Amino acid sequence: MKYSDNIVILEAEVMGYEPYNCIDCGSEYCPCHLAESGNCILCSHLDGKDFCDCVNWNGVCIYQEFMQNNFKAKEGRKHQRFQIIDKELVNEKLMILKVKVTKKLASELVGPGSFVFIRKEDCEQAFDTPICVMDSDTGNDVITLAIELKGLKTRILKNVNVNEHVLIKGPFWNGILGLHSMTSMKRQHCVLICRGIGQAPMVPVMEKLYNNENTITVILDEGTLDTVFIEKELKKYAKEVIKTNTLLMGGILDGKCRKILEGILTKGDVALVHCDSADVLSHQIMKIVEAYNNDIEFSCSNNEKMCCGEGVCGCCTIMNDDEKLRRLCKMQTSPKYIFEGRRLY
Amino acid sequence: MKIVVIGGGWSGCAAAISARKAGAEVEIIEKTDLLLGLGNVGGIMRNNGRYTAAEELIALGAGDLINITDANTLHKNIDFPGHEHAWLYNVNRIEPAVRRHIDKMGIKVRFVSRVVDVNMEGIKIKGIYLSDGEYIEADVFVETTGSTGPMGNCLRYGNGCSMCILRCPAFGPRVSISYRAGVEDIKGERQEDVFGAFSGSCKLEKDSLSEKIVKQLDEKGVVVLKVPLEDINTDKLKQKVCQQYALKEFAENIVLLDTGHAKLMTSYYPLDKLRKIEGLEEAKFVDPYAGGKGNSIRYLSVAPRSNQMKVVGLDNLFCAGEKSGLFVGHTEAMTTGSLAGHNAVRNELGMPLLTLPRNLATGDIIAYANEKVQTTEGRRNRYTFAGAEYFKRMKDNGIYILDPEEIQKKVRKLELDNIFNQKLV
Repeated sequence: MKYSDNIVILEAEVMGYEPYNCIDCGSEYCPCHLAESGNCILCSHLDGKDFCDCVNWNGVCIYQEFMQNNFKAKEGRKHQRFQIIDKELVNEKLMILKVKVTKKLASELVGPGSFVFIRKEDCEQAFDTPICVMDSDTGNDVITLAIELKGLKTRILKNVNVNEHVLIKGPFWNGILGLHSMTSMKRQHCVLICRGIGQAPMVPVMEKLYNNENTITVILDEGTLDTVFIEKELKKYAKEVIKTNTLLMGGILDGKCRKILEGILTKGDVALVHCDSADVLSHQIMKIVEAYNNDIEFSCSNNEKMCCGEGVCGCCTIMNDDEKLRRLCKMQTSPKYIFEGRRLY
Repeated sequence: MKIVVIGGGWSGCAAAISARKAGAEVEIIEKTDLLLGLGNVGGIMRNNGRYTAAEELIALGAGDLINITDANTLHKNIDFPGHEHAWLYNVNRIEPAVRRHIDKMGIKVRFVSRVVDVNMEGIKIKGIYLSDGEYIEADVFVETTGSTGPMGNCLRYGNGCSMCILRCPAFGPRVSISYRAGVEDIKGERQEDVFGAFSGSCKLEKDSLSEKIVKQLDEKGVVVLKVPLEDINTDKLKQKVCQQYALKEFAENIVLLDTGHAKLMTSYYPLDKLRKIEGLEEAKFVDPYAGGKGNSIRYLSVAPRSNQMKVVGLDNLFCAGEKSGLFVGHTEAMTTGSLAGHNAVRNELGMPLLTLPRNLATGDIIAYANEKVQTTEGRRNRYTFAGAEYFKRMKDNGIYILDPEEIQKKVRKLELDNIFNQKLV
């Protein structure tokens, strides 16, 4: 054959085609440093090729945006100084802050999966900690952050007082995997499961689903926080709230939780299961849902560690056994592509 | 037997029709909401050697689409610089007419569905993925995704997206399926190391032209206007796809053809310059919408293939239209498409694949373009029955015939009459 030297065997993909998006695609932050350095997660022209291979098109030609921006990345998110207007120490493990921000930032943080980086004014950038936005009040330009006081960064943040200032970098949006499945639900029955601090990111999820006229059942585990701090929101949005333990020692799913979930699934009308918890719980829930009915959509919190949020530091990159590098601060995909094929070491 | 045709342009429709006639279950997957792709803004049939090819297709039993364009003709036997006996179909009526025919034949069409990847088993395509993750299996696939665009290519190799009929920003860009299956694409060149070429014409809204021009278009089908001396740009001819229209006359004159739109036989034309010409003072582009700035870039995605239209290196992928060579035009797309669809069925049945003989223009162009694309010089040329190098070859080799009866007789003698009407399954 004359063209035999033209034939290349592309890498075999274990899971087949993965429909994904870049959460920043088409925003004022696109093209970013990844595009400038030839590592764009969507555009083949900006990933070392000289032709279009637009397998994951998301409505915007990033190459065009890049050219029209004089072959440079757009400026990234900046740290801004904002005042704390309220601080509530719920218990020694949980603090809820209200921060007065700009109108623009507040409006950009309304969607499920929104988060910011926050640190005390007198700390270095290494103290930036990613915190989901539990509520964004666009009338008063106030965001509410529930912070589990757990490690070094959050414990230092605990010392901040009302009227003092913090440094906030945002908006970021990729706090949920399977975002589209969740936001596109309309007039369906949705089951939400959360554990511990997972209550916080679940609030905007409940709000979105409620506004889309879905019926919401919540399975809630206080976890190690020993408190339910979203009672008001549960009352407003959820039709049914079931409190239970979810995980046993060693990360094993509690049989009680499994029974509750299966009991709900058996009724047959569930269209979405969403999980705000550690991966160890989300994964087990996902497997139960998949085994029960593959047509049920599944979404969950994106728990990857994040440091810069802009695809640069490499903190949130994972490589599963399909050898594909995924940058989870940017890549909006389904949970199964993150959980399946995960390497143990 | 299930055959999936990827892309619903002229060649995809032709492939679907011939595969269906041969007895397969056929589904077309089209990324936009219209069949015919660039055929929605084309319109020129039967000019020069295309007349011969059209009659050959009819004799071979693949005349369905020719009959439809003939039936929707606005002007017959038009002459314009370098071209004789052109027929112009109405671009505003053609798509529904083809759609009705496709429906009537029982060919399924899935619109607004973009194929983005393949699932391979060795060198066989088991199935394809749509952009939303849906997976579709079939026995044989015919790729007719063309070679135009998408935006990144139009930008890198041209003047950027000019908003053509393919509407990539709205429906998503074309993906080269042969490349996804592991076969590198061949790229056409317009000059040394300059890849791709501009589409060769743009269209003006007829209502935006002077009454006098509209009247002449309606009556004669063609209007030739002088370009002001200071605006003549012969360099532009080098960039063009359609070398049959890359003549000096097309730089010195504005040639307008009536296809329902006023087809302007140049890749693009700055609006302020265009409006200096008498009768075009209020002219407005309808395709591409930014025809004052540029046009779509083509020929960046040609698959290596055999003369039976099978993609080299793969077991069950056929190709046609621009995907299968540096071809220009609807008639060329129908020719390659008809053969690809027919051979897709033969391939699955384990029958020998059909080769159209080289004493037919339709067979010769398929083989000739294939030989040429393997040379650097050949990758800078385009192949069309309507002009340039290949039309000259037709005349030199005595295969440019204008008598339909003679063509019928010739095809019968080759025992190929109605070959595409034969049911194989």
